[in-house]
Amino acid sequence: MNALEITSASVPNRLTDVSIRLLPGTLAGLIGPNGSGKSTLLQVAAGLLPSSGAVQWAGRLISAVPLMERGRLTSWVPQEVRFEFGFSVRSVVAQGRFAHGDDDAGVDAVLAKFDLTGLATRPVNRLSGGERQRVLLARAFATAASLQLWDEPLAQLDPRHVLEVLAHVRAYTRQGNTMLFSLHDLRVAHCLDVVVVLHEGRLCAAGPPADVLTPELLQTVFGVRVRMTPGLTLELP
Amino acid sequence: MKSTVARRATLPLVVLLLLLLVLASLAMGDLHLGPARLWAALCHQDELASTVLWQIRLPRLLVAMLVGAALSSSGLVMQAYFRNSLASPGLLGVSSGGAAGAVVVIALGWASWSLVVLPIAAIIGALVATAAVLILAQHGASTERLLLAGVALNALLGAVTSYVLSSFTLTYERNAQILFWLLGGLEDRTWEHVLMCLPVVVAGALLWPLGRPMDLLSLGAQEAQSLGVDVRRLRRSMLALATVLTALATAVAGTVGFVGLIVPHLLRLIVGPEHRRLVPLSLLGGAAFVLACDLLGRTAGGLRLGIVTSLVGGPFFLWLLRRQA
Repeated sequence: MNALEITSASVPNRLTDVSIRLLPGTLAGLIGPNGSGKSTLLQVAAGLLPSSGAVQWAGRLISAVPLMERGRLTSWVPQEVRFEFGFSVRSVVAQGRFAHGDDDAGVDAVLAKFDLTGLATRPVNRLSGGERQRVLLARAFATAASLQLWDEPLAQLDPRHVLEVLAHVRAYTRQGNTMLFSLHDLRVAHCLDVVVVLHEGRLCAAGPPADVLTPELLQTVFGVRVRMTPGLTLELP
Repeated sequence: MKSTVARRATLPLVVLLLLLLVLASLAMGDLHLGPARLWAALCHQDELASTVLWQIRLPRLLVAMLVGAALSSSGLVMQAYFRNSLASPGLLGVSSGGAAGAVVVIALGWASWSLVVLPIAAIIGALVATAAVLILAQHGASTERLLLAGVALNALLGAVTSYVLSSFTLTYERNAQILFWLLGGLEDRTWEHVLMCLPVVVAGALLWPLGRPMDLLSLGAQEAQSLGVDVRRLRRSMLALATVLTALATAVAGTVGFVGLIVPHLLRLIVGPEHRRLVPLSLLGGAAFVLACDLLGRTAGGLRLGIVTSLVGGPFFLWLLRRQA
């Protein structure tokens, strides 16, 4: 059974007839140029944006899943958030437990995981962009949802935190959880299980990165030429 | 970081403050009532004191507390709804909507039909205003849009009220009643008025369990929905409660400005932004604030409540704007 199955989803002017299927335990990246429909597809997958077509989580049509249960099954992280009120980092992460009806379960562990223990009492409206992003990712982890849909989670992180987050999501999907996130760094995309490519609102390709990320495809979709060179490789010590 | 001591101590302190203000409000006035006489008045043992207490001071006290609780909690809800800490019944024009509704039924002479006509008219007026704000400023709107929508609406509803005042040939009594609404005050409030705004208690109770979901909503609607909040339903209840609370307060005390802005703000500065704490605190704190303002007005020789809250609130609002900029 698929962890996520989207069947011919269309949203007027934004997404045209997109179908994807992800097996449980898949770590999938969503790539495409600006305005290609990545955020829209993630919102459709999360059940936050109505589309023509069907979205199924683990074989269940999401229209049949009660809202509260959706909060336990899936977690969606937006690209950018505006925090008007100064909630503490900890209380925002604890919001991930809303659908479980508890306040605390696993919150401290998640804070440590995302390097936020030291910031736990800091108001979220006084954080840097990268710190804010880590708070959102931590909140998503706190939900313990088995399907994670993240919109450009790495965009504002420094290199070390990028590697750490990738290590966490890799470990998370090894436990059988499924993850789809949008990104722009093709080098990162290259080390994921599956890459989904969107172009002008249509599905362009989906599959293992070695098959999908061909020079021809990158030339058509992104208009860039690919060249293999000995470059800079970053890894956790 | 707000210390946990401050958080824990705030609720008992607000309750204590409220109790002191209640006692002061009952005791002070043209006829000063000491503790012994106050007790005698309560037990109907002193005829003069008992008349003053039961017919004048108690209804006024209760109306003041209900109005304060209603306006302050209504402001809190609006701030969470619009994700903007400057949203409040007065600035958004919801109070003016309530007042316009009330003024129209007074001018038509319908207000004397029944006790419920006035609150219902105020609720309808406030609902119209809320709907207009929703259209003018979308959820999570910028401060500029929200405040401009409020300016436009306040002007429009003010025009309605002025039209009613200028075009109806009214008896002196009705004109005086209308003027009362426009200035906002607690003079001559009776047990009828207490009854009129008693539903505030129900609305406040309904607000109680919404604290946690309001926390989530105040950080973003889609985010809240993905975490399991029924956003559409929550928003509907929040809007309905905020509007009804403002309308009930306006129906009995006219337009009283700034309460919904100041009280939630001060409390947020002390205990932080969590609505589970802020909901009960803003109900009690609002009651205390209006009571204090009324007391201030009475001791200053009969300044109307609306004037006092504006005198306190205006500078506070300017300070907030400066702080945000």
